[in-house]
Amino acid sequence: MPTINGTEIKKVVVACDAGMGSSVMLASQLRRQLAKSAVTVEHTPVNSIPADADVVICHQGLASRARVSAPDKVIVPIQVFLGDPAVTRVVHAVQRGGELSG
Amino acid sequence: MTSSPYTPEVKGQGPKATVQRLGGYLAAMVMPNIGAFIAWGLITALFIPTGWLPNKTLAELVGPIISILLPVLIGYTGGRLVHGQRGAVVGAVATMGLVVGADVPMILGAMIIGPLTAYLLKLFDGLVENKIRPGFEMLVDNFSAGIIGAAMAIGGVYGIGPVVEWLTKQAGAGVDWLVGKDLLPLTSVLVEPAKVLFLNNAINHGVFGPLGIAEAADKGKSILFMIESNPGPGLGLLLAFMVFGPRALRPSAPAAIIVQFFGGIHEIYFPYVLMKPKLILAMIAGGAAGVGTFVITGAGLVATPSPGSIFAYLAVTPKGGHFGVVLGVVIAAAVTFAVASALLGFGRGEPAADAVGPDEERAVGPAEERVVDPDETLDKSAKQEV
Repeated sequence: MPTINGTEIKKVVVACDAGMGSSVMLASQLRRQLAKSAVTVEHTPVNSIPADADVVICHQGLASRARVSAPDKVIVPIQVFLGDPAVTRVVHAVQRGGELSG
Repeated sequence: MTSSPYTPEVKGQGPKATVQRLGGYLAAMVMPNIGAFIAWGLITALFIPTGWLPNKTLAELVGPIISILLPVLIGYTGGRLVHGQRGAVVGAVATMGLVVGADVPMILGAMIIGPLTAYLLKLFDGLVENKIRPGFEMLVDNFSAGIIGAAMAIGGVYGIGPVVEWLTKQAGAGVDWLVGKDLLPLTSVLVEPAKVLFLNNAINHGVFGPLGIAEAADKGKSILFMIESNPGPGLGLLLAFMVFGPRALRPSAPAAIIVQFFGGIHEIYFPYVLMKPKLILAMIAGGAAGVGTFVITGAGLVATPSPGSIFAYLAVTPKGGHFGVVLGVVIAAAVTFAVASALLGFGRGEPAADAVGPDEERAVGPAEERVVDPDETLDKSAKQEV
């Protein structure tokens, strides 16, 4: 299971089926929360996660597809699109450091 | 895999992921081009003889956009998915072979021939890789694309075109049969469960969209655009959660309603169904009631309402068709709300009101503030689960 320290995260990718709907919404929220950190937040379709992603956030229902398209990345599955604790964990890891795995 | 305490882990392995991936390809060919579909829908709604601002000159845009531009864009995008820019170019060329002479919009055909032609070019490129004499790369690249594109366009005119045209007409006849026998609402039995398994784009843009466009080009509107995309059932579900749902989840519902009903991002309600799977019955009931209402009132839309927001719905409703469209959305929401509320036991079994209640101001703040501390809700929601 890949792990990464929060301080090494440079790019967070939010993925959804089309890369046009829920991922855009979540990415814009995350971008606001991480505005003060030197982290890029991108949204993409789950089938085309870029190679330079450090952490991938996607809904649990799409996690196995994310694993196929990004086998060596830390994948953080979420259950709800608004205020999921898993997203908060990523934010905290970026801001305060700490291991993320998934 | 981690799962947060108040939601059971969702299994996402095996066949479902494969179906999602296949469906994802279909949707990925259509969705980047939705803007063009909307443009066509708006031009059609405004300028055709029965539109809001009939205009003979501008109405001439309608035919070429639907029969040429939209299929070619989809063939282009399909080719790009398979083999980048070169694939896109040959995909577009090959699609022209389908649209010429066809009397139905060749959206389905474009979804086949675009990726197929790009794949052939990809095979050829793999074959000659590292075997080209230095200096001849550009010559080989350009002419291989030109020859394969031209050959597939010719093949499209004589081979694939007629086959796809026949298939499109058969599918259309099948839909007519369903409508004629009043069976269309039954599609909700399949559509609603598939939707919350994240097959929503695949169903709407991969299946109903192409069929709907063919019907809309013929009859001026189609009910097929409304089967998956109706924002009513999601609204009803989220309202039921806001009033009768687990107390820990109630505060998130108003923000979710705004995103789903007005923003059109239906994905936001899927987790609420996945965490209480019996609620799929409410989605099916509401979806079927909505489709039934659309059938009875003869409602239809001129183009895909994407995203499935109430605003998109109203924008692509043909002149004079608003009554049935709005009624179907309202009835779907009401039925889903009623069934979901019953399935949630009208909130009985929830602890008496405490500090956490529906609070819109908090709900639209930054997500971090809305996070319900999982440790706090764990005990409560564990007891609440039946």
